Amino acid sequence: MSDVENKERSAVQAVVAGGMGGDAVHYDVIDAIRRGEGVEPTVHGEMAEVDSVIQTDDFKLWYGVAQAIHGISMDVPRGAVTALIGPSGCGKSTLLRSINRMNDLVDGVRVEGGITLNGAAVYEPTVDVIELRKRLGMVFQKPNPFPMSIFENVVYPLRIDGERRKSVLQDACERSLKSAAIWDEVKDRLKESALGLSGGQQQRLCIARAVVADPEVLLLDEPCSALDPVATIRIEELITEISERYTVLIVTHNMQQAARVSDYTAFMYLGRLVEYGPTGAMFQNPKLIETAHYVSGRFG
Amino acid sequence: MSDQVNQHATKRRTLPSAVGEPMVWLTGSALVLCLGMIAVLLVLVVSNGLRTFWPGDIDRMTLEGGEQVMGIRVAEDSEGRYLYRVGNRDIGQESFRWIDGEAIVEIEQPDDAVMLERESWGVWFGMPESISVLNDEGELHKVTDGSGETLDAFGEMHAAARIRRAQGEAMRKRELGKINRGIEAARLAISEAELGVDQRASASDRLGWVSWALVLASVVFAGLVWWVKRDAGVGIGAAGVRVGKMTRFGCAVVVIFGGIGLWVGGPWKTVGVTGETRDGVIAASAMEQERLQVEYERVLGEIRAGEDVDSRERFVVVEPTTGRFAPIAQTRGDEPMMLSQVVRLVQANRLGFFGKVKVFGGRWWEFVSTGPREANTEGGVYPVIVGTVLLTLLLTVFVTPLGVIAALYLREYAVQGFGTSVIRVAVNNLAGVPSIVYGVFGLGFFCYTVGRYVDTGPVAGSALSSGVWWGLFGLAVVTAIGSFGCSLWGKPDPGHPPSVVHRVLSKLSWLGWGVTVVLLVMVVARTPYFMGFFGARAAEGSPTFGARGLLWASLTLALLTLPVVIVATEEAIAAVPNSMREGSFGCGASKWQTIRRIVLPGAMPGILTGAILAMARGAGEVAPLMLVGAVKLNMDLPVSTTAPFLHADRSFMHLGFHIYDLGFQSPDSQAARPMVWTTTLLFLLIVFALNLAAIMIRAKLRGRTTGAAI
Repeated sequence: MSDVENKERSAVQAVVAGGMGGDAVHYDVIDAIRRGEGVEPTVHGEMAEVDSVIQTDDFKLWYGVAQAIHGISMDVPRGAVTALIGPSGCGKSTLLRSINRMNDLVDGVRVEGGITLNGAAVYEPTVDVIELRKRLGMVFQKPNPFPMSIFENVVYPLRIDGERRKSVLQDACERSLKSAAIWDEVKDRLKESALGLSGGQQQRLCIARAVVADPEVLLLDEPCSALDPVATIRIEELITEISERYTVLIVTHNMQQAARVSDYTAFMYLGRLVEYGPTGAMFQNPKLIETAHYVSGRFG
Repeated sequence: MSDQVNQHATKRRTLPSAVGEPMVWLTGSALVLCLGMIAVLLVLVVSNGLRTFWPGDIDRMTLEGGEQVMGIRVAEDSEGRYLYRVGNRDIGQESFRWIDGEAIVEIEQPDDAVMLERESWGVWFGMPESISVLNDEGELHKVTDGSGETLDAFGEMHAAARIRRAQGEAMRKRELGKINRGIEAARLAISEAELGVDQRASASDRLGWVSWALVLASVVFAGLVWWVKRDAGVGIGAAGVRVGKMTRFGCAVVVIFGGIGLWVGGPWKTVGVTGETRDGVIAASAMEQERLQVEYERVLGEIRAGEDVDSRERFVVVEPTTGRFAPIAQTRGDEPMMLSQVVRLVQANRLGFFGKVKVFGGRWWEFVSTGPREANTEGGVYPVIVGTVLLTLLLTVFVTPLGVIAALYLREYAVQGFGTSVIRVAVNNLAGVPSIVYGVFGLGFFCYTVGRYVDTGPVAGSALSSGVWWGLFGLAVVTAIGSFGCSLWGKPDPGHPPSVVHRVLSKLSWLGWGVTVVLLVMVVARTPYFMGFFGARAAEGSPTFGARGLLWASLTLALLTLPVVIVATEEAIAAVPNSMREGSFGCGASKWQTIRRIVLPGAMPGILTGAILAMARGAGEVAPLMLVGAVKLNMDLPVSTTAPFLHADRSFMHLGFHIYDLGFQSPDSQAARPMVWTTTLLFLLIVFALNLAAIMIRAKLRGRTTGAAI
């Protein structure tokens, strides 16, 4: 079955079933995935032209015997914000954490296929995983500042590289706190514990920590899911600002957030890539009815 | 629809156990019972411990039949009998005496009655009569006469006499001690020189110059290779990561082990002590000995002169029963005691409350600041306190890093599985092994095996020939490098499960490390190149480390308390949130950097809690100490102002053992009993103080490493 046919049938069925009541709608792609069948992802034509910084090539991942990712091939464009969306358990976070090999910390993980960062394979025995993680900044779902001073938190990546010069550390700290838009709030209390900050401030501190060593890509794993709406807005503004200098890959549950901050959006479902394209097209004119319904909150 | 709504809830039964809170009473009273028992213990210890030093009134009783007895009442029983402390042991009476209340005709409390605390033979009760001076003809001339005049003059004269005596004792201890050490050192130098020729003759097969040069060349080569390959296989996508690591590790091992070999097997060491140098050393030492002997006589003369002055001032205190005075010594009953033999005079019946408080404070000060007298039943416990505190501190210093390292491996590095579970159970079981077993182990392993090795080197006849030894040494290097290689290649590729080859290799690596350790132990234990540090003294039958001592006692207790630290540290490490570790890894930190900068600081309060628990457990332990180093009396403190300042080889006194000794090994158990209470009280206070100090340190650290949010 070709993509075009697929899409048309989905659309027809959706129209027939009408607005409310998801049960009545038949989603061909989603149903096929649910049945465990392989489905070709719908990738928009624009994606073929981008300069990609991260590429996954038929990437599969198992936690023990349970497969979490079923062969994802996608290119993450350089210098843009790419959002991974999809319902819980679809493997977005797993994919993100596979890029900087945080999944190595989990026992019994097995992978197949490859991920490349600027053309260099990530899953090779020759790769020094520490070196790899130094090139990728990561921000986690729950703010996780270390139990030390704000200053020490920010310069932590430099400290572990053996940087001792006070002036270098201070400059780096100020620069990254400014780029994380938190400098004005904390500049007078750098020596105080980071745990005394509010949740939103803590998360921005974590972003400052992630960018202090100038990574190539910033991986954000649902950075706003533990924050209140005001803090969320600030982080979103920050992501937009930061994307001028860094490639950002963000996992989010929040459709509006993906629409607001990202340039490209990938919709995943049960470990498979469903549709991938420029954010505008994905939200206003998706090729699949599934995507249309998901981004408008009608299922998932 | 409304008829379906339940309008009347059905009546439900309420069990008696749900009425009120009966369990509050049960749990509460159980707690009260537990706390009550502890409180009783504490009250008993504190009240008895404090009472010991409080000066009681001195009674002079006339009994039926005219006998007069003087003493302090310490107890009474239900049949109206009183227990009196009557002292005066050196004239042949029991120092405690039960007196029937009905047999007492008269009790009075004469103002001038005194209790003397003396250097030896316990207390003396009596009436002071005079202070006299012995002239050259051996006749006593009274300086004061009558109790009033004597007591008035006593204070000043006694203070002067005590200072004179203390100076004499200090001279004996310091100057004579120094000379004695010199003589001993010279004597040791002689016997070492005599022994040294034989020993070095037997160990003369060092490396030849050629082999030594070969080892040197390989060390230099390995060092160069390390330098050249320092960046091999580093970085993303670099080829030969494993080969690079392997090369660097191998080179490092060769450099380190080769360096040790170069030093141990240095051919220049074959020279040893020749006959001539030996004779020279012996002659010089003998001269030194003679010189010191002369010096010894001179100092001794000075001290004796001072003591002669001392011995002329006599104090006549007469007891009422027989009219005899306190003698200078038990065997010289016809001479009154020297003034300087009095430690303290308590004129108890004349003392007001504050006077008694002063005596009480003075006795406590004496208790904590001086050494014991009279088979530990009199005097103080200063050396005992020092021994206990040192032991406790040393054991904490040993056990904390050891336990933390073990727990770190178990929790952070080891693959969690059957193996780690078995080890955890085993560690917990170690905590239940009777402490005396640790004592036996400590004596057998630390004192008699490790200690003797330190003293004299390998057991006679067990040293390997140099050829075999170098063979084993080389084998150890090879197995170490091989095991490292096995573990490198035994790690599966990232994201892939281990294959059979990987499994076999990683098992092999474990085996290899085991073999390496065994080989290293053999290489160290049976080296022909080590003759021990204190061979000469051990040969005379007075081993230095090969006997019971502070070092081995603290190591034994460290072993005993190890499970406490491991368990506490493991819990503390597990309590550090995983998000912290992830954050650190995400920043590109290595495992060790994460542990060092995130996990350990976060776990520090818990680790210190473990150390505190270990300290408390170790401080209270007595049974193993009896085997590995605590003694009844050793006035030589394990710390001193002479090098090496901390004498970890010395045996020591310990409060726990002291309590046992006072209570059950004392010749005068009635006299010792109050001291048992006081020592117990002091022991509790010291353990409390040590714990308090540790808790305060922890609180300080906790404030520094965590913020308001946690």
